[in-house]
Amino acid sequence: MSHEAVRELSGLYVLEALTPAELAEFQAHLEVCDVCRAEVAALRPVAVGLACAVPQVEPPATLRERVIRSATGRPVEARHSTASVVRKPTTRMAPWLLAAASLLAAVALGGYSLQLRARVTDLETRLQQAITQASLAERQIADARRTALDAQSQLAVLAAPDLVRIDLAGQTNAPAASARAFWSRSRGMVFTASNLPSLPAGRVYQLWVLTATGPPVSVGLLEPDQTGGLTAVFQTPPDIPPPTQVAVSDEPAGGVPSPTGMIWVAGTPAA
Amino acid sequence: MCMWVLWAVIGRVGAGEAGRARAEDARVDQEVVRRMAGRDGDALAELYDRHARALYSFALHIVGEKAEAEDVVQEVFSQAWAQAPRYEARRGAVAAWLLTMTRSRAIDRLRARRARPDSEGAGEGQLRDLIDPSEPQDLGLLIREQVNRLRSALEGLPALQRVVVQMAYFEGLTQSEIAERLGEPLGTVKTRVRLALLKLREALAEPAG
Repeated sequence: MSHEAVRELSGLYVLEALTPAELAEFQAHLEVCDVCRAEVAALRPVAVGLACAVPQVEPPATLRERVIRSATGRPVEARHSTASVVRKPTTRMAPWLLAAASLLAAVALGGYSLQLRARVTDLETRLQQAITQASLAERQIADARRTALDAQSQLAVLAAPDLVRIDLAGQTNAPAASARAFWSRSRGMVFTASNLPSLPAGRVYQLWVLTATGPPVSVGLLEPDQTGGLTAVFQTPPDIPPPTQVAVSDEPAGGVPSPTGMIWVAGTPAA
Repeated sequence: MCMWVLWAVIGRVGAGEAGRARAEDARVDQEVVRRMAGRDGDALAELYDRHARALYSFALHIVGEKAEAEDVVQEVFSQAWAQAPRYEARRGAVAAWLLTMTRSRAIDRLRARRARPDSEGAGEGQLRDLIDPSEPQDLGLLIREQVNRLRSALEGLPALQRVVVQMAYFEGLTQSEIAERLGEPLGTVKTRVRLALLKLREALAEPAG
């Protein structure tokens, strides 16, 4: 294998996704190739970063003892990093001191209340600003979450053990269009398309699964971008019979229960 | 098993104050492992307190089930305890060693599960959300700021590049398995993974601030 060909493996090597044979070949090449060694060294922190970037979850407290006991066979001492419970010294004020203190406080409060009122007004204004900013931030987080959820459901479908791939070809009305559906009974469908022609107002693309035994099942509506491309993930009914065909038709806005319009892309599952 | 040799790289990645803190963390880790090699049980407890959260989170992200993630963490620390006498500091950062063991154990479980035909879907439902509001774990390898940049860069990748990286790293699929699933040539999978990692690497290398 040439240097260029071996070098292509660097990403998978760093992610530890090479088969034993590929791994042996790549490691032999690393011995003699400074360029690839440097690339691997540069990419390694990415793998560490990916591991550290996952959502952080606190392990259950019982795990610590279980881990240490099972490894060393010894009983376990208290946690190192956890600060011990801090006990505040309990102080009790004498009754006369309390009375004096509250009198003093009352006098001081009289003068102080004017200052306070101004301060409260100021704080209210700032609170209002903060609330406005917070709701904006919340919206942004919600957007980001939606993107992440989409990505994660796409990944779940694509990694499903029962994945079926269906390539869809553009029909005579859209020869440049193409699409691909990835379907898993347990996890749904990822649908990706390109070059779908733009439709007249009031019409939408609708995605259908055709089965051997029943009527076509609507998977959902498609919203292509300006270039006619899209990638979307859909839930499909778990009891759906195996698809014999997947197709996209154009339908009235809002979609219809069974297809009425023209078919634009269609395909059958790969054998 | 390939071992991550991060030391030199990390030294360059985290410069200045943060870099010195990294180096100090790494030095403490090395010292803890040295004490473990001398069969000091307290040292294992200390290693656990320093890294259990990150390893548990990583394992849980892969296996998707709390009980299994706990088993993985237990196995990793047992392995670390057993191998500590043979651990060589020159081989790289301790945290990277622990992460490698964690991934390997967790992926073994995923593969075993995939090989059982009737267990499909077991343990699903775990959110695999990389845009996460929690502070990333500070393992003494990368600064938080870098991990946050990596998260945004990951979200910014083209969908298929991100998916192949995740399939390879978190699902433990080989390139031919990925190629088969996505209906793409092997070459495309390799290229996508490499391009994605080069982009993520840029995000890590950006100067802070």
